[in-house]
Amino acid sequence: MLKILTSTFMLIPLTWYSKKPWLWLNTTMHSFIISIWSLTLLYHDSDLGYNYNNYFSLDSLSGPLLILSCWLLPLMIMASQNHLAHEPLVRKKIYLTTLIILQLSLIMAFTASELIMFYILFETTLIPTLIIITRWGSQNERLNAGLYFLFYTLMGSLPLLVALLYLHNNLGSLHMLTMTLVAPTLDSSMSTSLLWYACMMAFMVKMPLYGLHLWLPKAHVEAPIAGSMVLAAILLKLGGYGIMRITAFTEPFTSTLCYPFMILSLWGMIMTSSICLRQTDLKSLIAYSSVSHMGLVIIAALMQSPMGFMGATVLMVAHGLTSSMLFCLANTNYERTHSRTLILTRGLQMILPLMCAWWLLASLANLAQPPSINLLGELLVIMTSFSWSNFSLILLGTNTVITAVYSLYMLITSQRGKFTDHIYPIKPTLTREHMLMTLHLLPLLIISTCPKFILGVTY
Amino acid sequence: MIRRALQVGFSRGLLTRGLRTRSGGPFNDRDGKWAEFKKKLQVFWPGGSWEPFTDTSHLPPEHADVVIVGGGVIGWSVAYWLKRLEARKNALRVLVVEQDPTYSMASTGLSIGGIRQQFSLPQNIQLSLFSIEFLRNINEYLAVPDEPLLDIQFNPSGYLLLASEEKAAVMEHNVKIQRQEGAKVCLLSPKQLKDKFPWINTEGIALASYGLENEGWFDPWCLLQGLRRKALSMGVYHSHGKVVNLVSSVRSMMTSSGEQVDLKRIYEVHVKVDNSLECQPVECAIVINAAGAWSGEVAELAGIGIGSPGTLQGTRLPVEPRKRYVYVWHCPEGPGLEAPLLTDITGSYFRREGLGGYYLGGCSPMEEEEPDTKDLEVDHDFFQKKVWPYLAQRIPAFNSLKVRSAWAGFYDYNTFDQNGIVGPHPLVSNMYFATGFSGHGLQHAPGVGRAVAEVLLNGNFNTIDLNPFSFNRFYRGKKVLENNII
Repeated sequence: MLKILTSTFMLIPLTWYSKKPWLWLNTTMHSFIISIWSLTLLYHDSDLGYNYNNYFSLDSLSGPLLILSCWLLPLMIMASQNHLAHEPLVRKKIYLTTLIILQLSLIMAFTASELIMFYILFETTLIPTLIIITRWGSQNERLNAGLYFLFYTLMGSLPLLVALLYLHNNLGSLHMLTMTLVAPTLDSSMSTSLLWYACMMAFMVKMPLYGLHLWLPKAHVEAPIAGSMVLAAILLKLGGYGIMRITAFTEPFTSTLCYPFMILSLWGMIMTSSICLRQTDLKSLIAYSSVSHMGLVIIAALMQSPMGFMGATVLMVAHGLTSSMLFCLANTNYERTHSRTLILTRGLQMILPLMCAWWLLASLANLAQPPSINLLGELLVIMTSFSWSNFSLILLGTNTVITAVYSLYMLITSQRGKFTDHIYPIKPTLTREHMLMTLHLLPLLIISTCPKFILGVTY
Repeated sequence: MIRRALQVGFSRGLLTRGLRTRSGGPFNDRDGKWAEFKKKLQVFWPGGSWEPFTDTSHLPPEHADVVIVGGGVIGWSVAYWLKRLEARKNALRVLVVEQDPTYSMASTGLSIGGIRQQFSLPQNIQLSLFSIEFLRNINEYLAVPDEPLLDIQFNPSGYLLLASEEKAAVMEHNVKIQRQEGAKVCLLSPKQLKDKFPWINTEGIALASYGLENEGWFDPWCLLQGLRRKALSMGVYHSHGKVVNLVSSVRSMMTSSGEQVDLKRIYEVHVKVDNSLECQPVECAIVINAAGAWSGEVAELAGIGIGSPGTLQGTRLPVEPRKRYVYVWHCPEGPGLEAPLLTDITGSYFRREGLGGYYLGGCSPMEEEEPDTKDLEVDHDFFQKKVWPYLAQRIPAFNSLKVRSAWAGFYDYNTFDQNGIVGPHPLVSNMYFATGFSGHGLQHAPGVGRAVAEVLLNGNFNTIDLNPFSFNRFYRGKKVLENNII
């Protein structure tokens, strides 16, 4: 554990002491080395996982998410090079430091073995993200976006704090290992329902659940590229991870109390997928697509069945990589035309054919094309949900179709068709951008050959 | 001795600055930075004059997809059609930047508002036909809920163009083209002309063409306000300021013959706000040059025309302001209500103004006698020497008239071939032109707006093909001449 934590922490002095020509190379290279090492954490030989000390542990649920988070840091740094090119050196270093602090909080959040520590780090991740969105976003609306993001999450997590303190008081300890051994002491009364909802709200806002999702399109669209990537790929998964951990305490009640959230998720998936079809802003389209996919994760996580947990974990990892890749692709468009509007960057297949290949692969992954792990996750979720209620199959089937429709709509509008005159002399794709796409896609394709590593605790 | 040895031995290494001094990196000059920090702190300490959130509502937005430079009738027409033709609502963020909100020198307000289909280029005729259809149904296009309907005050009196013996063949040819495009024009011999309009002196006239329908004049201010109101209601942003800079990114490429070409892409427009030193950079994807008489200056800001002449890089936008005078006179014995807008063979023209026996008219001066364009002062001698004699000769009733007032306005004159420039620039890839109409911009505004919106959104012209009006013709030297310039 200290291997990752200390080395990530030492990235901060690395940025501050790097000279100007070496800054990006140093940070990218060292964070990449850390992420390559973290791949060794994929191997779990026991159900209990690795227990490093009293505070940090890793099991087959938090392992893949930790690796995803470590993998994304070099990618975020690579993606930010262009829009920070004209900033003064100190400001670039501050940006990188903010990213690294965010990364530290995320690593500690995923490996936290005590729920209070998890909560503290869950809240800590908000601050660097807020700084990145409001300071380095590119439009006026980013102040509004930062406000929505901060206050939605804070309002959701205040009840969680109360609930955790109450539980700690009653149970004596909130350590993950002792959770499974504790006999449930909750009786079925109004206060238990309130406790359950208090526990869940923070994660529902974070996921986000449809109905509490208003902050997401704003925050994703207004954030700079690294902000969008970390938000879509990892911060949303904190919610899913939290649900799966905290439902260990609320054993018999989840099956009855989860109804509103299940219904909202099922309906919300279809609604947000349909909204994607009407979007004019490319980043907004990808943001709503994230909401839709996370709806599936909520359904799976609330089902509390082995297949459900498997589906939730796979979908979280797959969506992290796919969504982050789509945001990177949208950013390559934005850097060239300085506009996020979908209709102003059309017909790119003729002009940047290799980038079209990445667009194609990312869109296919987004619509859960076999044999990608996106499909694996969606299938597991669909099977789980069918076992809960036969009727949900119709809703989930409709969502799959609409997901395919909007993914293909995004692909065809941006790549096919006649390009407009102001597009043809845009800069060709840089090697850095190709590398970014490859590093997103390669894990996705390689994992689909052996997905057992990311199937989570119930495999 | 050891230190000197170390200095000599490691002169290019760590100890170049001697053993005691070391670069502190970002912590260099600690004292200076502390003083700076204290100064900054003092500014926003309570009691200081710094406000965290200042009111910026007068500034344009920091980002717009399309920035239209110029808020005249062409600029607002492009904005309206962009919003009208975009596939989904609020897909594009359009910003119109106008330097003078009073429109004191803009060509739109000072125009006499004529519309005719009697051109010699099919494109011009088609533009006018679409525009008249737009004007006749203006409330179907531009009505805003809960606002009063527009009254464009269209006088369908027609245009009467006169031709002498030499120009008669050209006029007949033109009328044939106009009829092919669907304009309703008829040719009149001198005798028919005299029968129809007895107040004309037909000496020297061989042929006349008279527009029977869809020609006349209207209120340009009403069209501008209508377009503006509707575009604003559809969500177009507007800003009163002057575009002072166009920042672009440059890509240098070599042609196959070894010539270096710089491809530019404008990514920021700097707008200097009226009556203030504030300059707001607006990040943009596309810039539309609809600045009318000042289009040449805006094009120069983008670097168009800066290069060796004869190359594509060095081809300037040949639009410059030309001053034209309009005089209003009172003549109770004049032609009366039936008078069309008459254009004489000498180039002078007049039309009826209102119902009280007032007429207005003028003349395009010769190339050598162009008045200077630094202001809009009227030269009354011009009327006495160049306009009145010819008009009086053609319409004897005008021998006695009294000039009541006069004004001057600018033509956005295209010195190359006096026709508009529509479409993208080959090198500055995201600047589109909609300018240079040399006096017939107002009547073509709806059509041109729609054409620019089409080429921007679809990549080609769908309805009226304005490819002959592209910028490339200046480099190739192919003039697209219009025979009937007034």
